[in-house]
Amino acid sequence: MTYSALNKKSLNHLSITIIAVLILISCAPKTYKNLQSLNGNAVCISEFLPKYDRVLYRTTVDVAGNHLSGILLIKEMPDSSTRLVFSNEAGFKFFDFEFSKTGDFKVYSIIRKMDKESVKKTLKKDFQLILMNKPVNHLSPYRFKAQKEDEKYYAYHEGKDYYYYITNKDCTSLLRLERGSSTKKVTEAILQLQKDGVPESIGIQHKNFNFEIILKRIEENAEQ
Amino acid sequence: MRKYFLFILFLITAGSLFAQYKSVADKSGFNSRFTVASAKMNSIASDFTQIKNLSLLSEKITSKGKFYFQKDDKVRMEYISPYQYLMVINGPKVMVKDGEKTNTMSSKSNKMFQQINQLMIDCMRGTIFENKNFTTRLFEDGNTYLAEMTPVASQMANLFKKVNVILRKSDFTVSQVQMFEPSGDYTSINYSNQKLNTSLPNDLFSIK
Repeated sequence: MTYSALNKKSLNHLSITIIAVLILISCAPKTYKNLQSLNGNAVCISEFLPKYDRVLYRTTVDVAGNHLSGILLIKEMPDSSTRLVFSNEAGFKFFDFEFSKTGDFKVYSIIRKMDKESVKKTLKKDFQLILMNKPVNHLSPYRFKAQKEDEKYYAYHEGKDYYYYITNKDCTSLLRLERGSSTKKVTEAILQLQKDGVPESIGIQHKNFNFEIILKRIEENAEQ
Repeated sequence: MRKYFLFILFLITAGSLFAQYKSVADKSGFNSRFTVASAKMNSIASDFTQIKNLSLLSEKITSKGKFYFQKDDKVRMEYISPYQYLMVINGPKVMVKDGEKTNTMSSKSNKMFQQINQLMIDCMRGTIFENKNFTTRLFEDGNTYLAEMTPVASQMANLFKKVNVILRKSDFTVSQVQMFEPSGDYTSINYSNQKLNTSLPNDLFSIK
């Protein structure tokens, strides 16, 4: 009960610094300009799609020297939508988001301190990246012209945002996820998958800015 | 439709929590008995089980840990399972350890935290009716009192619609705290295996 207020200061800074991320993005290096389109499809990506039936993650957010922690619940609902609920350890809820079956984003609730368009938009894009919820037939394969020939990029875009799933050359291993424009990288995420398809840990890092989200899976007892 | 059904089910369930409670007429009698009982109580060590109810998701998140209170203003709340999290209040100082990082702060710098801190201490000291940040109504059943506390300030009301504190009639110790959010979700903390007036090591409350 008591501890929601502990993170108030951090949340203030969180909001401000996430807004600042958007300004700094324009300074990011040109990462993707040498990607060239390849023939083929992205069916092989299906092997790496995470399964978030119902999972809890210990979550830490570090943004510009401020630290916030809590518990993130990711749950697939009976209507195939996915809910993401972030609370602090004592149960106080920070936000409740939904991605519908078709990927539409909805905010059920968010505390006032975080209720800013830029914050919601950034979190939406970060979660969309790690949920990998776009049907694979929307993805197209790419490869770098000269360098990094051992990597393949599978990409889709929404407006100016490009989402990249990056595998090894044979698409037998998912290396990382990235988001950016067609030329610039903004965010990089690493998923450590388990055999059951539930990521054991997830790291989301914003480039050119000190903003990092770390998720570590919580193993619950059978009685719970 | 299913969501509405679940919501109505939640309302019925939540309503039944208070169905057996009736209003207490003799508040001053309660106050004096609470104060007397609290005066005899120097420390509490107990287990707790916290259940976060996400009503629209029909989902519960359960966590367990240890709770310690040392008169007048020292509290240690240690979550052990399924995650580790530690909060220590020692006078105006607060320390939070979330597994990887430790943060120390002063509750004086944060008005809201000061209010929440005060509520927790009031529950232990028997002074909840003196707390000006809440309006309090008192109910009782056979074995317990229920203090229904509604925040006065809008800042606090944004976080909690109300906080129910359930006290055992036998010794006026807190058996359960229920926190209701404006969204309809609520969190309950049940305290069990309470040991009163045992000697608690100072280290439990040390803030470095």
